[in-house]
Amino acid sequence: MERFKIETLKNENRMSTQELLQLIQAKIDEGYTDFEINGCGQHNIGGSSWARDRSKTLSFLVRNPGQRVGAMGMKGTRIIVEGSVPADTGWLNSGAEIIVKGDSGDTTAHCAASGEIYIGGRVGTRSGALMKHDPRFKIPEFWVLKNTGSYSFEFMGGGIAIVCGYECEEFDSVLGKGSCGGMVGGTIFVRGKVENLSHCVEILNLDEKDIEFLHSGLKRFLDKIGRSELFNKLTDFSEWHKIQTRAEAVKKRMPVAEFRQKEWISGGIFGDFITDDYAVYELAGTGDARCRIPQWDKKLCIGCDICVKNCPQNAIFSDEKVYHSEDNKCIGCGICAALCPRQAWKMVENNREITK
Amino acid sequence: MCRIGAIKSKKYLHPSIALKLMRSQQKGHDDSGFAFVMQDLGGIFEHHKDLPILSMAGTVEGARKAEDILMDLGFKRVLQWTPHITNKKGLKIDPLPNYVFEAVQYPKSHKYATQEEKEELLLDTALKIRKALEEDNSGYIYAFWPDTLVLKEIGSPKDIGTYFNLWEENSELCSKVITAQCRQNTNYDIVRYAAHPFFLEGYTVLANGENTFYERNKYYQMKLNRAYMGFESDSQCFLYTLHYLHKILKWPIQYYKHVITPLPIDKIEKRQDKDVLLRIKASLSHLEINGPNTILGVTPDYDLLCVCDSKKLRPVVIGQNEDMVVMTSEVTGINELLPDRDLSKDIYPAENETIIVKNDLTVERWQQ
Amino acid sequence: MAAVKVNELHKEDLPWIIEYDESKCIQCGKCTAVCSFGAISPAVEMRKKSGNINEKNTYEKTLVIKQNVGFENHCVGCGMCANVCPNGAIKAVRNFDDRYAIRYRAEKGESLKRGGRSNLNTEGRTLDKIKIGRISQMTDPSLDPVRHTFEIKTPFGRVLSADKLGFEVDGNKIMQTKPLPPNRWIYPIIFGDMSIGAISSRMWEAIAIATAYLNEKMGIPIRMGTGEGGVPVSLLKSRYLKYMILQIASGHFGWNRIVETMPEMIEDPAGILIKIGQGAKPGDGGLLLANKVSKYVQEIRGVPKADLMSPPTHQGLYSIEESVQKMFLSMNAAFNFRVPVAIKVAASVTSVAVYNNLLRDPYNIVGGFFIDGFAGGTGAAHEISLNHTGHPITSKLRDCYLAAVHQGRQGEIPLFAGGGLGQTGSFAADAFKLICLGANGVFTGRLLLQIAGCCGNDTEKCNACSTGNCPAGLTSQRECLTKRLDIDKVAENLVNFIVATDMELKKLMGPVGCSTLPIGRSDALITVDKHIARRLDIQYSI
Repeated sequence: MERFKIETLKNENRMSTQELLQLIQAKIDEGYTDFEINGCGQHNIGGSSWARDRSKTLSFLVRNPGQRVGAMGMKGTRIIVEGSVPADTGWLNSGAEIIVKGDSGDTTAHCAASGEIYIGGRVGTRSGALMKHDPRFKIPEFWVLKNTGSYSFEFMGGGIAIVCGYECEEFDSVLGKGSCGGMVGGTIFVRGKVENLSHCVEILNLDEKDIEFLHSGLKRFLDKIGRSELFNKLTDFSEWHKIQTRAEAVKKRMPVAEFRQKEWISGGIFGDFITDDYAVYELAGTGDARCRIPQWDKKLCIGCDICVKNCPQNAIFSDEKVYHSEDNKCIGCGICAALCPRQAWKMVENNREITK
Repeated sequence: MCRIGAIKSKKYLHPSIALKLMRSQQKGHDDSGFAFVMQDLGGIFEHHKDLPILSMAGTVEGARKAEDILMDLGFKRVLQWTPHITNKKGLKIDPLPNYVFEAVQYPKSHKYATQEEKEELLLDTALKIRKALEEDNSGYIYAFWPDTLVLKEIGSPKDIGTYFNLWEENSELCSKVITAQCRQNTNYDIVRYAAHPFFLEGYTVLANGENTFYERNKYYQMKLNRAYMGFESDSQCFLYTLHYLHKILKWPIQYYKHVITPLPIDKIEKRQDKDVLLRIKASLSHLEINGPNTILGVTPDYDLLCVCDSKKLRPVVIGQNEDMVVMTSEVTGINELLPDRDLSKDIYPAENETIIVKNDLTVERWQQ
Repeated sequence: MAAVKVNELHKEDLPWIIEYDESKCIQCGKCTAVCSFGAISPAVEMRKKSGNINEKNTYEKTLVIKQNVGFENHCVGCGMCANVCPNGAIKAVRNFDDRYAIRYRAEKGESLKRGGRSNLNTEGRTLDKIKIGRISQMTDPSLDPVRHTFEIKTPFGRVLSADKLGFEVDGNKIMQTKPLPPNRWIYPIIFGDMSIGAISSRMWEAIAIATAYLNEKMGIPIRMGTGEGGVPVSLLKSRYLKYMILQIASGHFGWNRIVETMPEMIEDPAGILIKIGQGAKPGDGGLLLANKVSKYVQEIRGVPKADLMSPPTHQGLYSIEESVQKMFLSMNAAFNFRVPVAIKVAASVTSVAVYNNLLRDPYNIVGGFFIDGFAGGTGAAHEISLNHTGHPITSKLRDCYLAAVHQGRQGEIPLFAGGGLGQTGSFAADAFKLICLGANGVFTGRLLLQIAGCCGNDTEKCNACSTGNCPAGLTSQRECLTKRLDIDKVAENLVNFIVATDMELKKLMGPVGCSTLPIGRSDALITVDKHIARRLDIQYSI
């Protein structure tokens, strides 16, 4: 069947998106597969229209469409746009080939999961965000001749994006600023300067397979957008890099203890006044950690050995009727003092202040 | 989402161009209205550029009230333009009985007044008329300023165009700067004062966005200037900030971004002008905006301005040929007006840019 | 057996009673060893040996753990005994019928003193009745901390309105032509004002280390208020001084050393905080009981071992004009007008009057207004002050902010709010809500002790900070207790807590669509309480 042409603007009357999309679907059902549409900002052209017979190929030649050209596009659909388009081109692309000869607005290729998107100009901010790759389908490709806006490829999970950096001399970064935030997968090939990327990605050099991919891919891309004359200019692969999720885990931060030991004021800030080795006493500890310390009075002792027998730490020894409690064993519980029939053991508060 | 547009041209243009600019962006319309501001007027106003023009709409009573106030103060009517109304059945429009666009002569008392004194008088008069109209809900005043004409109405943009006969070009009504929007801030009530573009003393602002710092902005602005009032839309704050910065503080327009979306401290610290920027950030922190926004503006010397929020969450594109520069939300509008332009000259402003279009149509891109 | 008489202190009078299960006890002695208060001791008790009534009673001795009864060594419920007991044989249980306070006053003829917070806040906190209810849905996007750059910083120091900055325009550039009051951008959380002496050397140093670490390793420009107990010279001479806000209160403790060290400072301090009052004990001066005035505290403060009671007001400041001139001017001058000088007052019905006066000060030398609510903590105070004086922070902060709004001067003197923040679990939420109500930032002290292992709470558990017997080593100068504290662990915990809080602040900023601090964005808040809604001018939601 011949090409079906649609004019969407007659005098002041503009065909609405709904009218246009329903007309296209009706014509597909009639058997048309080839459309030429002069649009007036209507949304979603080309993508969500499909033929029940999946062997058919649909093709659209579009001028001045609105947002979401080719959104939800399927395998077998081919859309060519003469000129520039607004936002969301190829959103949720599931297999269509979408060619925009001019620029494409913000969030181009958002959530694209298969198919190919070829942009002959620039794309806006947040382009390529959440691209992904379902292994049962062909990997999505997103080709951009010039540059992307900032915050592109956020949360990218898979697929391949190629940003050729053509006519970008005036820009500090061909990916804008802050791109790749939250990116967990996929690959971005980029030619030219890149700065201010999210810390979750790293910039790598190309390997041979990459060059092979770009070499054949660039030829295909430039043919599609009608810019084959740029092939030589864009195939100096020393100008290219690839961006992928950072391989090594985020560096662990320095333990604060290490900071104190290496960078903090040596000897501690109270070093002028007190001596502190920063050792930590355990609860119910021995020695200086005791809240109370037992003292033995020879005059009162009758040598009954009750203290020796009952000390839970086995800290008390007698030697020739002289009793003593070993500091490194005694925890200062006071059991000796409690049991001593003559109060020969007394507990004395350890009120020692922290000092020099 | 609002769709906005601003056109600056070397030749006089009829407002039909604004309707055409917005037509393809209709997905942003919701029949809440159409409004435009024309500045640098041609047509019947071309030879009266110094005279203040009253732009208002209202009941017969409202129009009379405004007239009385003007006459009482000693203004004299010089020229009036009345739209040719075509009231077909079925038009989606909520029209008012009277639309007044009249140029007046300053009162004799102000014959030798300075520019500043004249501006004070115009502002006082405009506020007085607004107050009087609000008393009995008898109308709306949009501007009282030389070389400026403002029309706002509720309804379908296309039908409003038809109602006011704006689709048909004529040489009566034209200007070199036109800003337009086909949808109000529809978060709250549909009121004419909430419709962009907003105009104050030669400054025009229209925005596609949401000002999450509206309350902060509003509370601060309320005390800054008696002209900062209304606040029917959170986007009015952008106008008042522009006016405050440029007219009151007399700061260069490049600092607008430093006020509404100041750079992070870390970035400022690395700059030579850090002392100034840190002070601006602290002193005008209440004028920061913090939501998604594209702001288009016009200054009294008819420069066009375009800035975006710091996360670049709303669209805008700028296209041009030798005669005209067009800024709008979606490229489709530019495609309609300038189908044969050089596409590679299209500009997609970044989050840190200020775009200024000068009178000779040179486009300056300033990095914040 | 000793005779028992009515008019003595009995176990049943005490606020905590030790519950001891003899059958589980292995007599290891750990519980008595660990008790820093001496509230329990091993003791010998008699047990009846035979149950046969036809025989004469015989007894045997047995070792038990017994609660001591006394004003100086009663159990405060800290729970350390239960922590160390291997068998769960012992614990302190709250005595709801205690008569301790009345007995103490009757016996001692003194007012009760303790540390901690107000224990009478029983009606629920205002901040807990406020929710963040303005969520970005569709009209504007919620932001997300992963992608978007959030900036959590606030100005500290006097902010001049834009028309008073004295800028001159040169072509497209603005030039600064005159000196302006010092102003720095800091993290909106300040570690607040616990003095050397009030807390242990390890605790104080841990906060200082955490502050330095957060600044230098985490990029979080948090500041630490020194409190008024002097500052070690080694810190004054170090680069870390730039993170310290030096406090001067009515005692002026340690300031001679600070003054004397000035020529050797390599950095300016972050700020000076003139403490007029404190939320926990408003209208009352500092209090450090002699037990805690150890040798180094004596030295650093220049005092003998004695109860240190600072006067409730700065001697010589009996009017606000004088205060501004003497304190603010002098403190500004001391650092040649390079360092912000702020003031800390206890929240009070008069706070707005004070704030207005400072806002109108023509010399622009007041760089911050810290308001401390009645739920703030303290190392030592008379319980009567703690429980019965003061003003909640929320409405007073709001009043001050709205007073500034009324004059179109919001933000000119940054507001910092504190007093009981994080008390019910979420510090970040409290901070966020106060910021939405108009605070530039918040400060917290008590919470830091809780992070560091404080076993007390706001329902009369422990609160023995004043005694010098802090079982966690936080507020003690006794070596055996101070050294229980693991300085590295505490510093690490403080760092972690702030990192977590930072994340949580972002999780609150994101949904309301803010990537910078929502200071004064009360539109983000809602409350289900009508009175709160009306009083704070926020949306009432049901």
